Order: sequence, then structure tokens, then C-alpha cells
Amino acid sequence: MRKHLLYGAIVFVVVILLFTLLPSVYSNEDLFFQAMVYLALAQGVNILYGFTGYLPFGYVGFFGTGAYATALSITLLHIPPIPAILIGGLASVVLGILLSPLLRLSGAYFAIGSLAASQMVYYIVSNPALQNLTNGPYGINLESVYQPRASYITMIVIVALVMGVVIYIRNSRFGLALQAIREDPVSAGMAGIHVVRQRAMAWFLSAMIAGVVGGAFAWHISVFYPTTVFDLNISIFAIVFTLFGGVTTVLGPVLGMFVLYGFYNVIGISEPQYFQLIYGVLILVLVLFLPSGMVSLMKRRGHYVP
Amino acid sequence: MKSTPYRVLSRIAVSGVIASAMTLSGVAAASAASKAPAAPKQIVIGTLYASSGSFAQSSLPQYAGLKFWVNQMNQSGGAYVKAFHKKIPLKLVAYNDQSSSTTAATLYNQLITQNKVNILVSDFGSVLTSVAVPIAQEHKMLLIDPTGTGDSFFSKTNPYIALTSLPTSGVWPTTLANYLIDKHYKRIAVIYDQNDFDQSQATTLTNKLKTAHITPVYNNSVPTSTSNYPVLVHAIMSSNPDAVIELGYPTNDIPFLQSVSASGAKFNMLFTIFPGQLLSSMEQNVGVTSLAGTYTYPTPPLLVYNNVNFGLGMNAFATAFSKANNSAPNFLDVAGYNAGLVIQKALANTNGLSQLQLRQSLYTFSGKMFTLDGLFKLSPTGAQIGETLPVAQLVKSGNGLKVNVVTP
Amino acid sequence: MLTYTIISGLLFGLFCSLMGIGLNLIFGVMRFVNLAHGDFLMLGAFGAYFAYTFWGLSPALALVVEIIVMIAIGALIYYAFVPRLLRSRDPEMLSLIFFFGISQIIQAIAVIAFSNNPRSIVWSALGSANYQVLGQGFQESWVVSALISAIVIALVYVYLYHTKIGYATRAVMGSQEEAASSGINVHRVSAIAMGIGLALASAAGTLSPFLLGSITPNMGSDITTTSFSIIIIGSLGNPLGTVLGGLIYGLSSMFMQSYVPSWANLVPYLLLFLILLFKPSGLLGKVVRHA
Repeated sequence: MRKHLLYGAIVFVVVILLFTLLPSVYSNEDLFFQAMVYLALAQGVNILYGFTGYLPFGYVGFFGTGAYATALSITLLHIPPIPAILIGGLASVVLGILLSPLLRLSGAYFAIGSLAASQMVYYIVSNPALQNLTNGPYGINLESVYQPRASYITMIVIVALVMGVVIYIRNSRFGLALQAIREDPVSAGMAGIHVVRQRAMAWFLSAMIAGVVGGAFAWHISVFYPTTVFDLNISIFAIVFTLFGGVTTVLGPVLGMFVLYGFYNVIGISEPQYFQLIYGVLILVLVLFLPSGMVSLMKRRGHYVP
Repeated sequence: MKSTPYRVLSRIAVSGVIASAMTLSGVAAASAASKAPAAPKQIVIGTLYASSGSFAQSSLPQYAGLKFWVNQMNQSGGAYVKAFHKKIPLKLVAYNDQSSSTTAATLYNQLITQNKVNILVSDFGSVLTSVAVPIAQEHKMLLIDPTGTGDSFFSKTNPYIALTSLPTSGVWPTTLANYLIDKHYKRIAVIYDQNDFDQSQATTLTNKLKTAHITPVYNNSVPTSTSNYPVLVHAIMSSNPDAVIELGYPTNDIPFLQSVSASGAKFNMLFTIFPGQLLSSMEQNVGVTSLAGTYTYPTPPLLVYNNVNFGLGMNAFATAFSKANNSAPNFLDVAGYNAGLVIQKALANTNGLSQLQLRQSLYTFSGKMFTLDGLFKLSPTGAQIGETLPVAQLVKSGNGLKVNVVTP
Repeated sequence: MLTYTIISGLLFGLFCSLMGIGLNLIFGVMRFVNLAHGDFLMLGAFGAYFAYTFWGLSPALALVVEIIVMIAIGALIYYAFVPRLLRSRDPEMLSLIFFFGISQIIQAIAVIAFSNNPRSIVWSALGSANYQVLGQGFQESWVVSALISAIVIALVYVYLYHTKIGYATRAVMGSQEEAASSGINVHRVSAIAMGIGLALASAAGTLSPFLLGSITPNMGSDITTTSFSIIIIGSLGNPLGTVLGGLIYGLSSMFMQSYVPSWANLVPYLLLFLILLFKPSGLLGKVVRHA
């Protein structure tokens, strides 16, 4: 067990070091910022899907809610960015509480139900009727507090916290309980696991992560429209990265994000013409030949994956 | 820049360098150049385009227009830069953001930090421009913004943006509102989409009408993704309007006009935005007969300015562009080319390649330069105020349509 | 206004049913969420566009041809990829990424082949008359589209309830294991279902230029999302429930457009959400969840 924790710690340290040092090697900080956003979101998906089996198709709903709650705390209440980001996380948890009846659904029902929920939030936020509150379709402008360096550092801290949480879950009774629920909720309940409470915990945790990440994103990007932060592709990217790397592990989403998002940018910057085509083919090939994610390569050889 | 003695000296030094480079050996040039800023071998212009996604239809022509200008410059040996008293070749670096604003943010940063572009040009429209505004400001890069007309981009605190075509969208309906008031239309229906571009226009329009004591008989917003209109058209018809104003994107204007035409409804005035910008595409999708008689904001190439004092005139541009691209230019091609012209003039007037020098240079000819896109005039915040959008009626001419400007 | 709204809603709803039914068939049989559904629909739309513009063929004829071609393509896709997919731990979820990849590829190829400019078929291609129903005029293209949708849906019904392979298909929907143990060739049934599912998407595509405005290579994603709402409102995994879902979707969106247009987009999702919460298996579904 202690050895497992050590492996997790190694992944943690490598990731944090990379994101701290990379900007001084390659000065496109935004690239690494986006990478961190996707990494944290992928880990959020991992907590929910990997450990409980619920696939949140509408995960971006929490992200957008966090972004808007943070932005509005800054513009309307004049709260400094970092506490505002915490409010973003809280707002997402509140949304999670409102949406918790979704947990009664399973499989594709849950996936699509959460998608519907995220679209609803988007249509409400962007509706002109709420213009006085959300600025409706005119979007957000946070230029007065724009500090890319500070938001970058904040994002590193968020990634560190998220990675820490995932390492904890991976190595704790809580994580084991969640996996037991995922495999067979009825027997897990009989074995004395509080099914509903544990599952809700994972759901709120995952919502909070997306909310906080959304808040940091809002601060970093600072001028945006509702479509930017409720873009369904954000969900899809986070899910694809997670599944591609391998769920229920600490390492999987990290690998998935680095490889796929890395490819995405390498192709995007060098060969823009057939960009989408190459990306689609890549995903297809990987799904067919590595269906359990990249970590299955290591597992097959009998290695432990943190 | 003020002409300080140091500047005069350095300018003499620069001209000395150029003279010696032409006559003497390169070694002498190199040693002299170390004293004054050397002329770069090329000027790097960075931009983004969207080859797919919802903005592709508009983004690609804008990019084609800019590329056309770069090629034209390079054929003549590059763009003349005043600070170095010589022509310097241009290099265009462009990435594909696929209409995603998050990807665009990364790529704008890539252009600035990795490609070290000298001039940054944003992608089409407000959504893809929005994310560039703070990034450009942070890196102290002047953002040349061809068509991102969102009002919130322009503020007194940000000197790093200049809108080259079109006024900010809130200004667009000024002449339209006046026209409606002059014509004494009392029953006006306004239907607009829920986005910055359309809603800011609707707000201006209804406010102007209000000052003339006109309250629209139908005034509703619809989601931007709306693609079927029969029921909406029916609802508008039942409010019995004289004039119907639909403010949308091309993907809204097309089904809206189709529905009006299919319903057989007749209004005294029917106004949409995009026939004036993308006429050939609208003709293909809606049909010449259905468009004839409707109103729009005409833009070049439909609108031809005769008093052009910089760059190609409309006809020469259309011929050269068609030859180079095998297709006739639309408004966005003009907008892309016009952004190029603004850069060209800025380089020709600049005292250096620093971003604030470039911006300052823009104001030396603001209000004086007349291109095929109209008068180039910047407000102190960098917004475009020279170009205005008249109102025109589309009338049949042969197999196609032409515009008949009704005001101003 | 009220009658106009109701009748438009029903006409549009029939088309919506056709739009969702293919997605639901594939989900019912394979438990796969076809994220590329809207992209196959888009291909169908472009097929109809080119058939009409270059050969003057009616979209109705294009629809028949496309159904046949798409059944073949669907079966091909099935045999080429699905058996491999089924070997993973959670094929249902992995299919999401798989079809996401397919969707990217289709969109990319469509952009290269068709360019990004929106295209339309003249609205009068399906007839330019204006039908008078209860004193209101309806454009013929809507009426004809609704009629064609109804015919195609009826054919799906005949297939499912009155053919041998249809019985087998329903057996597989009930339970793959039981169907396999009673001697049904699950792969063959699934391959055909995949083919029919894609064919139905493209069939809806041929009508979409008349109901969903101009067509572009990237129209698919939104349509996939809408189709999801439709099939959930009906009932996931029950193709005929889709008809009910489509009608409700059509009616509610037309009602919103008539009376509260600015919130028109919210209602379908709200409806979907409420149904998921109170009747998770859809209006016509049976109870599925146990814990």
C-alpha cells in the first residue's frame, strides 16, 4: 500500500514540476494552461466515471457555471479573483445538489440527462432576460483583474489539489467503496457501504473540481462569451482524454491528456490542413487497438499503475 | 515620435547603413548596424483562420483577402517601412483554430510567444477575436482586428487594438433606424438572435425608434441556433407589420427568407443583414426572386467607392482577386484585404516596429485614408468610426441582383 | 395562431421522429450511443442536395437510394469495427469515443469535399403549393416531408413487427444473451440494425433542407444533441416510442416559438430533464433501474 502511494506521489511531483518548469522552456504559457484545464477536468471525470461509473456528458455545465459564478463575483460583487474562484466551485456544488436526482439514472440515461442539464444552464445564462445579472449574450469582460501569471499559478495549485484528491481516492477505503458500488450497488449496500452518500460525495467533488477549474479559466481567458465556457467540446475532450488514458487510475488521465492534447497541438500547429481528419483517425485507431486505455499496456505486463 | 536630435542622428545612421550596404561590403554594414536597430529580414504577420466549424464560411474568405494582400506586397519586393527606408518582405504565419475560442486562445499565444510575430491579426468575428483582446494587451501586441465588432473590446485603458473594417455592431442600425422613421413606418417587427452581434443592433434600433415614439409591434429574440422559421414568420404576420427587420447570422437569414417566401407573406419592407455581405451565397440559397425587393446593409463589393486614395479600387481588386483565387471576392475578402492595406499604410508611416509606434502610426492617417472599404477612421479607443452602413434595396438586374442605395 | 401552431408542431414532430428513430434503433440493439448520428444525417442532406442540383432528382428519390446505400455502409462499419469494440471492458461507453472519432472524420471529409458554404435546396422542390388546413395555409414542403417521414416510420414498424429479422431484432433489444442462446445470430441482426439506423439518419437528412434551413458540413453535432432529447422523451431503446418523443418535441418547440420565442431552446431540454427525473425510462419505457 505504501509503495502504491509512492508511485502516486511520483506522478504528482512529475506533473507539478512539468507545469512549473515548462513555461520557462517554451514560452506559450497558454498552451500549458489549457493542458492543465483539461488535465483537471479529466481527473474530475475520472473521479465520477472511473470510480462510480457515471459518465457526465454535460460536465461542461459545471465548468461554465464555475466560470460564470467566478466572473460575476468579480464584476458585480468586486470580490478578488481567488476567493471568487472558490465561489465558482461552491456554485457548481450547488448546481450538483440541484441535479443530484440525476444519480438515480444509469448508463447512457445519466450521460444524456447531464448533457440536457448543461444545455439548460447554458440557455439560462445566455438568455437576454437575465442580461442585468449575467450580461446575457454579451459575455464577460474581466480585463480589470487580468493577470495571466497569477491565474497560471492558481491553476497549478488547483491541479495539485485535484491530483492529491485522486491519489487519495485511489488509495483509500472511500475509493474502494466507490468501486464496489460501481460493480454492484446492491451487494455494496449489504456490505455496509452507504451507497447514496458515497456516490453523492463523488458527484459533488467532481462538480466542485469543474467549477473551480472553470473559475480559473474565466480569470485566465478574461474576455469570453457564454458559448466559450459552455462549449460541449470541453466535456468531450475531458472524457476522451480520460478514457483514452485509462480510468480508475491516477496516471491514466495524465497520460491521456498529455498524449492526445499534445498530438492535438502538434498536428494543429504543423499540419493544419487535415487536422480534424488526422485527429479523428488517431482516436479511432486508439479505441480499436487500446480499448482499455493506455494504462492497459502496463497492466497487461503485470505492472501496478498508480 | 518627436524629432529629438538623437532620432535624427539615428535616422542618418540608418540611411548610412542602407547606402553602405548597397555599395560597400556586408561586414561594414554589420558593424554599423549594431549602433542603430537593424532592419529585420522579414516582417512576420500572424493570424488565425477556421477551416471548419460555424465560423469557417466567413473566416476563410477574410484569410484569403489578407493572404492576397501579402502576396501582392511580396511580388513588389515587400512592404515599405518608413523606419528603415526600405521594402521588407512579409511572411504570413497562420494557424487553424477550427472555430473554437479555447483553441484560438492557445494559438494567438503561440503566434506571439513562439513565432514572435511583428503584427497580429485576429480571426473573423467577435467570438474568435474576444479571447485575443486580453492576450494581445498582456503581451503589448497591437491587435489588428478586421471584423471583431464587439463593443466591450474597446476601452480607454487598452491601446492595443484597432478595428479596421466596420463600426462596432451597436452603431450599425443608425441609418436603418433613421430610414424607418423617415418612411413613417409605424408597425415594425424586430426579430433578432441571442448573440452580441445581433442583440446590440436590436438594442440600438429599438432605442432609436423609441425616441421617435415607435414601439415595435413584434420584438422578440430567438436562440442563435434557430433554423426553422415558419411558425415565427406566422407569428410576425399576425402582428400585421409594415416593416420586418430580421437580425441574424447567415444560417438564420437563409431559412428566415426561405420561410417568408414560402409563406407568401408580403411586407412593405423586409430587412436582413447578410445579403449585403455574402450576396452570391444568399442568392444560391434563397433564390434571386425571393431576395429581390428586400433591404440590407450593402458592403463592398456591392458598394463601390470611387474616391479611393490608397490600395486597389474595387474593380481592380475584384479582377486581380478573381484571377488569383478563381472566385469573385465577397465582403470578407475585402475586409481581409483592407486589414492588409491598413498594415501597409501603418508600416509606411511608422517610426519603428514597436507596437505603440505602429498604433501611433495608425492615427497619422486615421480619417484621411480612403480604401475600397471606405473611410478608415479610428476612435481614440481603436474602434472603427469611418465606415458607415447605408441601407439599400436589392433589385433584379439580368439574372442577378444589384443594390440600390436608399439612404443616406 | 393556435391551430397553426398545433398543426405545424405535428408536421415538424413527424420529421423529428424520423430524425431520432435511427439513433434509437442503434441504441436499442447495441447499447451504443452514436455520436456521429447527426453527421450521417448531414451526409444524407448533401446527397439530396447534389442529386437535386446536378441531376434534378427529387429528394424523395434520393431518399430511397440513400437508404439502400447506407444500409450497406452501416453493415460494413459494423463488421469492420464493432466486434473489436465489444471486447473492451465497457463497450457502451467506449462506443462514445469511437463514434466521436467517426464524427470527426466525417466532418473533416465533408469540409474537404463540400466546402463550408451553406447549401439549400429550393423550398419548392417538394412542391410549392400552399395547403389549406382548417383555414390556415401550410407550405407543401412541410406537408410532404411529414408524409414521407410517416411512411418511413411505418416501414420501420413493419420491419420490427412483421418480419422474421424484425422479431430477432426485438429479441436482441430485450436481451443479447437470451437472443444468442435461442439461436439468433446477434452479429447479423446488429449489423442490419446499424445499417438501418444510419439509413434512417440519412433519410431524415434528405428532408432536412426543407425543415432545418441550409445545410453545412458541421450541422451534425447540434442534430445529434436534439435527437438525443427526442429519443429520451419517447423512450430510450424503444424505436416506436420515438414517434411520441418526436411529436412532443415538435409541438413544444413550435409552441415556444409562437408564444415565448426567446426561451424556445430551453423547453425541449427541460422536458427531457423532467421526464428523466420522473419517468427515467421515457414516456413509453419500462422500468430499467434496480438500485
